[in-house]
Amino acid sequence: MKSRFTTKCLAIIAGLCLSTGALLAQDSGPLIDLLVKKGVVTDQEAEDLRVELQKDFAVNSSAGKLNLSSSLVEFKLSGDLRMRYEANSQTPELVTGGAAVSNETSRQRYRFRFNGDMILQKGWTAGFALETAQASDSGNQTFTGGADDYGIFLTRAYVGWQPNLNWSFVLGKQKNPFYTTDMRWDGDINPQGAFQGYKAFIGSKDTFEVRAMQHVMFDNNEQLVGPAGRDAWMFENQAVYTHWFAPDNLSSAIFALGYTAYGQSTMTGLLNSAAFSGVTRAQNYGTLSGELNFANLYGPGTAVKLYWDGSYNFTGDTRAYRVYNLNRSLFDAGEGAWLAGVGYSYGTGKVQGDYSAKLDYREVGLTSIDPNANDSDWGFGKTNQKGLKLALSYNITDFANFNVTYFDTKVLQEKMTYSLGNLNRSSELLVDLVVKF
Amino acid sequence: MKKTILLLSALALVTTASAQKLVIKGSDTLGAKLVPTLAEEYKAKHPGVSFEIAAEGSTTGLAAIIDGTAQIGMSSRRAKTTEVSAAQAKGVTMKPIIVCYDGMAVCLNDKSPVKGLTKRQVEQIFTGDITDWSAVGGPAGKISIYTRNTSSGTYSDWKDLAMKKRDYAGSSQKMAGNEQIAAEVAKNPNGIGYLGLAYINAEGIKIVPIDGVLPNKETVLSKKYPYARPTFYYTNSEPTGEAAKFIDFSLSDEGQKIVEKVGFITLR
Repeated sequence: MKSRFTTKCLAIIAGLCLSTGALLAQDSGPLIDLLVKKGVVTDQEAEDLRVELQKDFAVNSSAGKLNLSSSLVEFKLSGDLRMRYEANSQTPELVTGGAAVSNETSRQRYRFRFNGDMILQKGWTAGFALETAQASDSGNQTFTGGADDYGIFLTRAYVGWQPNLNWSFVLGKQKNPFYTTDMRWDGDINPQGAFQGYKAFIGSKDTFEVRAMQHVMFDNNEQLVGPAGRDAWMFENQAVYTHWFAPDNLSSAIFALGYTAYGQSTMTGLLNSAAFSGVTRAQNYGTLSGELNFANLYGPGTAVKLYWDGSYNFTGDTRAYRVYNLNRSLFDAGEGAWLAGVGYSYGTGKVQGDYSAKLDYREVGLTSIDPNANDSDWGFGKTNQKGLKLALSYNITDFANFNVTYFDTKVLQEKMTYSLGNLNRSSELLVDLVVKF
Repeated sequence: MKKTILLLSALALVTTASAQKLVIKGSDTLGAKLVPTLAEEYKAKHPGVSFEIAAEGSTTGLAAIIDGTAQIGMSSRRAKTTEVSAAQAKGVTMKPIIVCYDGMAVCLNDKSPVKGLTKRQVEQIFTGDITDWSAVGGPAGKISIYTRNTSSGTYSDWKDLAMKKRDYAGSSQKMAGNEQIAAEVAKNPNGIGYLGLAYINAEGIKIVPIDGVLPNKETVLSKKYPYARPTFYYTNSEPTGEAAKFIDFSLSDEGQKIVEKVGFITLR
């Protein structure tokens, strides 16, 4: 009786298999094997069934029409579209005592990003990303006249290898692998070069990581004599400790200590906001950043975050007076930068109704950071500024965010003559709708 | 007029002769010995039929059916969805016909004290999760893994059947064929490999049961032995003409006797 019942059930499943072939073709192998084992169908009938399901899958499903490499373990396509309203104002520092000028801008912009990330066999990965706009620190494209069309650029192209859980290596133009804030590194900038990482697992959840990257910052013509003939390299190193307060507790602390230095070279014609062109000399930055996360402090799903960042250019003096050619008696070298912030969030920012608010204050000395890597919105990418950033975000749906961000900065050292630090005051308002796919 | 009739007659003769030629391409597992032996027997009974057999791998056999360059494609694996789809696009309907079964036995050096393995242990050994015999009840010693080379269909079939589609251990050594695997395992007390059932009687090796089951006709046909696979002829739709006759012969009692003699497991 029991066996007849089983046979009946299996026959029904087989029928279902045939009628919804496209849906089940990829998963039906074990089921067909079971049918054979139970004697419901013969081996030959099973093979005919497999071919029928494959044909259905190939003809009636979108996935069946794709032919992907067998070396692929996973191929993830993702991206986002951001519609932005931007209003900003900047007042230059007046050296000559002339009339105050305030430059104001209001514009409508968008950013499109499309990513392809592949997980291959034996720990290999590869990927690419396409993005509107060519400048390294912004994918924004301003809507301009005549219903123009816009360009798309390759913003990531990388190959990675992770032979085990401890080691990882990435070559190419890649996501920033370092722990940092936008005081030092704009989230839009995808660095290029060779990355090496080592992660040690300590106790139940803690990790200690050592990260190093040799950034290709500028390709020079080697036929030129001196630094102008050497490619510009930046060497970045960081140690990061992540501590969890308890194995089943989501509260954590991160401490990151780093050192970054440039080789002797020159750079010209960079496209990012407030770009530095000239010799790379005297950039030796010590960095200290981190965060404290307190989970479920005001109820389930809530989190309070305290975060900070710091940078000190050990050769800022040389940078200010030899490279920026400032008058030592009039200006301080501005070797230091710091940031302190607080954030409150509900949810992870991935579910409808999640929200977050972050507020930070920072002071950025003239030579304290690399002006080619910092955030292009805060103070328009210039240094010698102090000010705040307020960021609010709300999830309209699981895949769409509404964001408002406001920046306000003032000059640190007045009457600054050097162009990367000569902003008296700036403000910027960004209102974004982001749809992710 | 006479000349025309003569020419037409000659043409008819040539056409008839070419219709008697069977082109079979594909798997080296089937094409190395079994199909040529079947072809010889068939030719003895049908003197007008000639064969062109090319054993260059299952992929070539399936491609030949899609391209229409063979009447029968030999394959030790099932056609992939992409192959079925490519055939469909050309108006070809892939028809698989099981010829026989091929069991894959796990062999150790005959001096190894290990008396049996589980499916999980086999997976762990071949993927490199286990690297020492002491982890599976043997004396301490680094496991030496011998596999077929990467171009072999058996190499990928073993991954599907025994390794949950995971990668082989980086230390595994690739051998050209069954004989080479048997010879290396016979020389190395720490060796392990897999063999077709036709090769399990080689000297210096022993076959171990998997979850207590040894590979033989009964355990393969009853699906009790985990590492067995059907082998196939592929045709465009239901076979017709001489191809159908040859396939019928392969599946007949007489053909299956040859299958058994060559070392494969018969259908019945």
